[in-house]
Amino acid sequence: VSTKPTSPPRLAQKFLLWFVREELAEEVLGDLEEQFYRKLTSKSPARAKLIYWYQVLHYLRPFAITKSSFSHSNHTTMFRHNLLLSYRNILRHKSSFIINLVGLTTALTCALLIFLWIRDEVAINKFHTNDARMLQIIEHSQLASGITSLNSTPDFLAENMVADFPEIEAATGITPSGWFGFFTLKSEDKFYKATGQFAGSDFFKIFSYPLISGSKESILSDKLGVAISEDLAYKIFNTSENVIGKSIRVEVQGLSDIVSVTGVFENVPSQSTEKFDFILSWELWYEWSDRVGRNINWGNHGPETIVLLNETADPKQFSSKIHNYIKSKDENSHITMSAVPYSSLYLYNKFENGIQEGGRLVNIWLFGIIALFIMAVACINFMNLTTARAATRLKEVGVKKALGASKGNLVGQYLTESMLISLLAMLLSVALVAILAPIFGSITDKKLGLPLDSTFWLIILVVCIGTGLLAGSYPAVYLSRIKTLLAIKGGKLQASWSEIWVRKGLVVFQFTISMVLIVGVIVVYQQLDFIQSKGLGYEKENVIYFDKEGKTVDNLDAFLTEIRKLPGVMAASATQNIILGSNNSTVGLGWIGKNPEDLIRFEVLTVDYDLLPTLGIKLANGRDYNRAFAEEKSKIIFNEAAIKAMGLENPVGEQVDFWGEKREVIGVVENFHFETLHQAVNPLVIQLNPSNTMKIVVKIAPNATRSTLEAIEQTHDAFNPGYALNVHFLDQDYQKQYQAEQLISTLSAYFAGIAILISCLGLFGLASFTTARRTKEIGIRKILGAGKWRIIYMLTMDFTVMVVVAIVIAIPLSYFISTSWLQNFAYAISLSWWVFLAAAATGLLIAWTTMYLQTSKAASINPADCLRAE
Amino acid sequence: MKETRLGEFEEVILLLVGILGEEAYSFKISEEFKEQTKRNVSIGAVHSTLTRLEEKGFLKSAMGQSTAERGGRRKRIYTITASGRQVLEQAKDFRTSLWQQFPGFAVDMVGLNFVLR
Repeated sequence: VSTKPTSPPRLAQKFLLWFVREELAEEVLGDLEEQFYRKLTSKSPARAKLIYWYQVLHYLRPFAITKSSFSHSNHTTMFRHNLLLSYRNILRHKSSFIINLVGLTTALTCALLIFLWIRDEVAINKFHTNDARMLQIIEHSQLASGITSLNSTPDFLAENMVADFPEIEAATGITPSGWFGFFTLKSEDKFYKATGQFAGSDFFKIFSYPLISGSKESILSDKLGVAISEDLAYKIFNTSENVIGKSIRVEVQGLSDIVSVTGVFENVPSQSTEKFDFILSWELWYEWSDRVGRNINWGNHGPETIVLLNETADPKQFSSKIHNYIKSKDENSHITMSAVPYSSLYLYNKFENGIQEGGRLVNIWLFGIIALFIMAVACINFMNLTTARAATRLKEVGVKKALGASKGNLVGQYLTESMLISLLAMLLSVALVAILAPIFGSITDKKLGLPLDSTFWLIILVVCIGTGLLAGSYPAVYLSRIKTLLAIKGGKLQASWSEIWVRKGLVVFQFTISMVLIVGVIVVYQQLDFIQSKGLGYEKENVIYFDKEGKTVDNLDAFLTEIRKLPGVMAASATQNIILGSNNSTVGLGWIGKNPEDLIRFEVLTVDYDLLPTLGIKLANGRDYNRAFAEEKSKIIFNEAAIKAMGLENPVGEQVDFWGEKREVIGVVENFHFETLHQAVNPLVIQLNPSNTMKIVVKIAPNATRSTLEAIEQTHDAFNPGYALNVHFLDQDYQKQYQAEQLISTLSAYFAGIAILISCLGLFGLASFTTARRTKEIGIRKILGAGKWRIIYMLTMDFTVMVVVAIVIAIPLSYFISTSWLQNFAYAISLSWWVFLAAAATGLLIAWTTMYLQTSKAASINPADCLRAE
Repeated sequence: MKETRLGEFEEVILLLVGILGEEAYSFKISEEFKEQTKRNVSIGAVHSTLTRLEEKGFLKSAMGQSTAERGGRRKRIYTITASGRQVLEQAKDFRTSLWQQFPGFAVDMVGLNFVLR
């Protein structure tokens, strides 16, 4: 028990002494202390201290506060004076204040939203505690067409590497959950759909997915064990507690087992690229591979491999050490390996010649630059409007200077003004961001919100001050440089050439940016439209597909026959994988005349009868697989790209060697885009093997989608009770491949709109200012007979020249930027001249409309009104 | 020119100073205030009012004795001046005259409640 007597809080006393007037200090401290000890008799010390603080804070009243530290200092007087003048200026020039505020607020809001997006993007996959030591194995193969880099590795690579490299602390293979689509889980006669993957027993030692129950070491060591997510536990068992040991039947693509829960992990955070509801053991993966006759050897590459190095190992050294590891195990292998930081693969997802390069990183740069541009445009408005108004403030500057204000004082005055506006804009935009962040997040498929951590606020503060300085610096320096005598005489301000050039230059800069953005929006839109409408060589409309599972696995033919009978179904078949993207490839093909040095990678599509008509794929030569012929499994079909790569003259009827078997070529299909339009069509093999298919594909008549879907569902449910039908639409999946481009399209349209809006605000302000200064001139011109349009023309000409200059600069710039973006696509639109013409016309039209709003008013004034005062 | 009217809170404080006599210093007054009105008030608020009343000339003050419970610090004791007394009388008379005009009420000061800001 502490015997130390409680005394009033020291900090509160110090604080009080700091602000309270000296002559009051004694009595006040006395009163407070008396009360403190009185309170101690009835209340706890903590409570008494709290009351003491309360009383101290209530002494923050004008009568008690010492005068010297607050109001007698020269600096504070000047500061107050500056604030007062700023306030009066804002009141006097309401319109330019509002233009500045709206412009800055919009720009800051955009910039903050982009910042939130970038912050989230950069943090993806970085939340693992071992992040710095986690490496992913990448395999590179030297093909005739160049080096291809893939993350597929031999299934047992992880365990072999752990045995061979002492610097590896842990390693695991992972079969990405995307491979399987949805598993069907069954527990107590109820069915559930969930995504899952297989992983080695080290998985939870490497990745930081916190466990709610179960231990990191043993959770995946049982062959028939399963780790499930909190959500899945709730879905199946209604609780996440005491579920260990409960059994679930897992099934996918005709394979199934009953497994028991070994642990529960917290739901995978949104910042993880891996999404899974449960994890099965690696041993089970081996067993299932065995069941489908999949060989596990050094030549078969499938799962991903992640290793965790120990603290002392150097990742770079390790990466070069494993270069020839696979070759050391299998002399026939042509594959080399490297290891790259696991979390880096999200942003740097492209490999050029085996070296990790950009990829998604480009988007970060793109939006970062757009944010900077928008900020620049808003700051330029501020500078322009303020310097343009300089003339009206000449007297103020003159009087101040005559009274002895130094340059520094004047600079302080103008910086106070700009800081005040930027502070206001910042407050408004933080509020706006709080509202808009979730909406912006849903557009970009992220969970965004106003972060409350101190770094964020620090950045806000820095940006706020930076904006204030940037926007206010030029006007401040410019105004403070004006000669006293000139200013006070009230003489006209002779705008120097350099000043006019700066102002005009800034307007040109603004419009150049807006114009480039307009061109960008049009080009991205056109390219996306092109992607949608380009003939792909197959028909994606009205095609649905769903998993082959339950009874449909063994009775595929019977099921397909039933489906084909339904009205509205035009064709039905099955395939191993949906034709979007690369799924399965091989170099194991031989043909007469093959150069043994050349490696050509063929994509393999395993199909059932009738897949080609179902997807509308056309034959260039020969025939499709047909039940009327015997031994169809020993035949093979290629696409034109494959024939070209193999250099065969008359392919139909030739014999080729496929995975060690002789196959007869029966047909050649026209090239179709089974990968995205970023790539040229690659060589493709179509082999018949109905039992290895995994998805059922159905082509529906265009007008009967709904009723046909219902009929298919009924047939499926009757055939396959318990299994929920999960229908995918091929055209929707096709769209998903271009998500990144869609995002760029949507966002660049928004941001271009905003940049143009802000530029126009600036132009509007500038136009209103010039017309205001020239009212007398306009009056005289009107008396002398000038018409309204003549005057509008006169007032508009100046700005038109600037916009035209901006157009001239923007055209080559935007041409360069668009061409380099289009180079990402193997199939791209060609840029046509009208895009630039349209952008230029839009720019001019917008500028003219803005100026017309302002000048038409000025041009229709009554000359008597503006000249009367003279 | 100094404002010489009395606010209602000021009136109460002035009365309390009169009631407490020798013990009229900020802390005691705020305690007494709480005791009498069942309302909380910070010492700072009371002190500020006392200062204002002094400026108006209704109070005068002098540093008094020090006590141990205050850490040996002296206290400022306030006393009502003649004009303070006068202004209290005026306030009371004003109210009485208002009550007399109130229909259906006899002059009864017992139920009088101050509306405090």
